[in-house]
Order: sequence, then structure tokens, then C-alpha cells
Amino acid sequence: MTTQTDRVLSVRALRKQFGSVEVLHNLNLEVTHGAIHGLVGLNGSGKTTTMECVLGMQPYNSGELRVMGREPARIWQGRGDVVGIFDTPGVHSGLTVRQVLEHARLLCPAPHRTPAQVEQLLGISQYSKYKIRQLSLGNRRRVSIAHALLGKPAFIVLDEPFNGLDAGGVEDVLALILRLNKEEGTSFLLSSHQLAYLESICTHMSILHHGRIALSSQLTDLFAAGQTRLFIGCDDVGRARQVINDVPGASQIVEGDNSISLTVLPGTVASLNHLLVSRGIAVHELRTEKPGLNQIFQDIVSSPATADSPEAQ
Amino acid sequence: MDGFLTALRAEIYVALRSNSVRLILILPALTGAAQLLLMSLLSAGEQAREAVQSGGFGSSFAEASGAEAWGALVDAYSTGLTLTGLILITYAAWSFAGDKDSGVLRHLLIRRVSRPAVIMAKLAQVHLFAVACLALMLIVSTLVANLLWEFGPVVEDGYELIGTAEILAELRLGLTLAIIPLPAAIALGLLISVLAGNSTQAITAALGVSLALDIFKGVMGNASDYLYASYLSSLLDESYLSDVSRLVRGFSDVMIDPALLQLNQWVGWPQMLLFVALALFFARRKAV
Repeated sequence: MTTQTDRVLSVRALRKQFGSVEVLHNLNLEVTHGAIHGLVGLNGSGKTTTMECVLGMQPYNSGELRVMGREPARIWQGRGDVVGIFDTPGVHSGLTVRQVLEHARLLCPAPHRTPAQVEQLLGISQYSKYKIRQLSLGNRRRVSIAHALLGKPAFIVLDEPFNGLDAGGVEDVLALILRLNKEEGTSFLLSSHQLAYLESICTHMSILHHGRIALSSQLTDLFAAGQTRLFIGCDDVGRARQVINDVPGASQIVEGDNSISLTVLPGTVASLNHLLVSRGIAVHELRTEKPGLNQIFQDIVSSPATADSPEAQ
Repeated sequence: MDGFLTALRAEIYVALRSNSVRLILILPALTGAAQLLLMSLLSAGEQAREAVQSGGFGSSFAEASGAEAWGALVDAYSTGLTLTGLILITYAAWSFAGDKDSGVLRHLLIRRVSRPAVIMAKLAQVHLFAVACLALMLIVSTLVANLLWEFGPVVEDGYELIGTAEILAELRLGLTLAIIPLPAAIALGLLISVLAGNSTQAITAALGVSLALDIFKGVMGNASDYLYASYLSSLLDESYLSDVSRLVRGFSDVMIDPALLQLNQWVGWPQMLLFVALALFFARRKAV
């Protein structure tokens, strides 16, 4: 249970319509202090709209939003405690990298880093005198991230931060996010299609599907709560099958030559092993496999949408 | 206030480093100077022809140059002001919509500045630009005119039609009256910028509305006296400066209505306030 002060972002029953199309239906989302919260969803699921509403860039029809305790329209009152990095870099294309950063510094009431430092941090020092329009998309994205790091934001919202970055660039950004999170306690809300990247850094994850949060949880709980696939290597598959049939929650049982695989509920692996051994069945291998984020995501997005499907928190 | 000053500083920082802003800043001055040069060449050709035709017994050069010099200068000012008016409404229209297109506006709004402060900073920045643009145009046109002509009273057949002091007073009044409606034009540009979906739409709409107002003022009859655009130097010029252009050329049929001069001085301000209020209203509600 989180309290109001634990949250950097609180979204309650958010509804947003574009004309007659309702894009967000009673969306609920919380981001706690110090979290790296991933927001994933299919194209058109409402990720960018959610982020734009959160940052006060889009008006919304109803709902309650608080970012660092303030309404989205008053985010600016935090004097740089919230920054947003959008899917398009959003910097003046006619200025040089250094000029863009100097310009951003004017918006920063208490600069924490110099333009030269953030250039170094993002590996763009060699492009300092280049105009933004001369840079590749990946380097423009680095500039937009550098732009956000001149101050010391408490909460950073990133929409598709890995777009246009090469493999090295993605690694650098992932390392930077982890570093800021650990060293400065910065909280993040990240949206991306790159589930593997999010899985590697996020502490929390929300899956947005058909304009509502279908699942939101700490990453560890997300995996723990799911059913576990269990592989059992034993000397008598037939007898083992009979024993397993009586175990509550065991399903999707598949027999092999010297092994059997099945899906079990969390916490039943040890008792099942004990049962098999007590019945005289020699167990020579016991291996569990948790479903990955990709599997969880696929399970959710492949399920049909319902008007009143429950939303997890 | 802090947000407004921050936004203004940020606006000025970008404007000072933009080549396109530099270009549109000097454009009215260059156009005014080019017009003066062209008029000087035409006038010299005409005088030479007249001198040849009259066998050297025509009006003296000094007599002719007084009216021509002032006339050419007022026309250059008028052209410069027409161009400045169009540039200002277009620049104002581009200001908010352009930043919205590029995404730059989002950084301002998230980090430091409220939407009303951004609007007011844009308004202030376009006004600063207007001051620089007008000053440059007036200085360059005056310098070029002084290099090309000799200024003095307007004399015809040895009789002084209008003295230098009176011309300067009329010129000052004409310029002041033509400049007074510019803030309303800037505010209209900014309102269009806030309402438009993108910068191309904003610029096109601003130019379209300017031309439409120019046409409407001719068909609105007396109602056009209450429209700020009636007092701007424009393509269909009905400003007091066009009367000054005739006055300094020695025309005596110029009818000056004091009531219109009064309207000229105040009619633009409430319209400017209305446009700014609407821009602030819509800026709070529009997605960026």
C-alpha cells in the first residue's frame, strides 16, 4: 500500500476522448518514489496520450492526475523537478548542440551539470558545434536526453527513449537510467515497445491495453504471481502422472520419455516433489521456468477486450 | 514574473542565433533602401530628359528635389511599414505554432513556465523584434534618402508650399499613427498561432487574414474606422502616412479628419487586448 507522499505520479480514472473515440477509459496508474516504471502496450493503446496527459500537454475529459503532488497544468511550478523526453527530440534544429544545451540551461533554475558535462555523459562532445539538423536521429535523441539532465529532476518521463538509438546507445541510456535511479533517486516512467530493455531495468511494469491498465505491478511480483512451468525428470513417468493428476492446480501436463512437464501454482513445487518421492518415484531433475515479460504481455494483448475488464493495481 | 522573464530570455537567446530571424529583421530596411535607389534612378532619368527637352530652361533641380525627396522618403517608409506589418503578423503566427511543431514548447511548459507566461513572453519578444525592425528600417531609409537627395522645403515657382519643420511634424505624426496599430496586428498573429494546428497553417492563415482585412476595410464603409487594420500601412493603403505622402509632394487637396486621427490612436488597443485575452484563453485549453 502506497501513501500519497510515496507517489511521484498518481492517475485515477483518467478518461480521454479524441472526438467520439475514447482513447483512455478510466485509466489508473501509480508511480512510486524511486521506481523505474515501464509502460508497455501495442501501437495505439494510448501510451503517448497517457504521457501527454500526465505532463499537461493534452487536456483530458475526466479523472484525477497528480504529478509530484501537482496538477499536470502546474508541473512548471516544480521548477524542473519533472522533465519529459518525447518520441520526437523537440529541440531547435537551427542551433548547435552546445547552443541547445545553453538554451536549456536558461530554463533550469538550479543547474546541476554544465552543458559540457551532459555532452560527455551522453557521448556527444564531438558534436558540440554541429547544428541539430546535421545530426542523426540517434544523436538528436541523445541531445534531448542531455537537455533533460542539466538540472536534477526527481521524475523523468520518457516516451520511446530507445527509438533511433543503436545498440551501444541503448546500453548507454539504460546504464544512465540505472545510475540516476541509484545515485540520485530519480524516478522514471518509460514507455517502450522494447520489452527486453524494460525488463532489464524496470522495477515496476504496467501493461496498457485498449486504453486501460490491464496489469500493473512490481516486476518481481509480476513474475512470482504467474503460473510456473515445471519440468520433472523421473524413472516412472506413468506413476508420476497418476500422482500429479491428484495435485490441485496442476494443468497442461505433457509426458515425455523420462520426463513430464506441467504448469503449477506458485509454492507447490516443493510439496509435489515431496509427494513423488514419498510414493517411491525417483526424481532426478526438477526445473522451474517462469514466464518472461514478453509472454505475460502476449497473454494480455491476445485476450479480447471487454468493456468492464478488471484493472490491476 | 520569473517564468515570464525566463521564457523571454529563452526566446531572445534563440532569436539572436537564428539566420531566418536576422533576414526578416533587415528585409523592410533593405526593401526601403532598394525603393529609394530605384526612385532616385527614375527621377534622375526623368530630370535629364526634361532638361534636354526644355533646352535647360525647366524648373530648377533644387525646386524639384524638395518634393521628390520627401515623397520618396515617405513612400519608402510606407513600403517598409507595409512589409513590417506583414512580417510581424507572420512572425507572431509562427512563434507559438512553430515551437509547438518542433516540440520545444513542451520543455518550456514542463520545466519552468506557465502557458500564459509563454504567451506573454512571445508577445513581448515579437514587440522587441518590431522595435528593432522599425528602427532599422527608419534609420536605413533615412540615411539612404539623405545620400540620394537634398532635403528642404517644398517650393513651387519660388513659392514655399510647405516648410521643413511642418513636413517633419507631419512625418512624425504619420509614422506614429501607422505604428500604433502594429501591436494589434501582432496580437492577432499570436491568436492565430495558438489556434492553428501547425506553423504552416498559422502562417498561411495570418497572411490570408491580413489580406482579407485589407480588402474588407474598403467595403465596410464607415465601420472600417473601428478596425485597426484601416490605420496600418498596407497594400491598399488608407493610413495617414499615405496622406502625408501627398502633403509633402505639395498637394493641397489632402483632407484630414481629426476624428479619424483620434480613432487611429485608440482603436487598436482594445482589439489588441481582445486578441491577447483570446490567445490566453485558448492556450490554456489546447493540446501542445
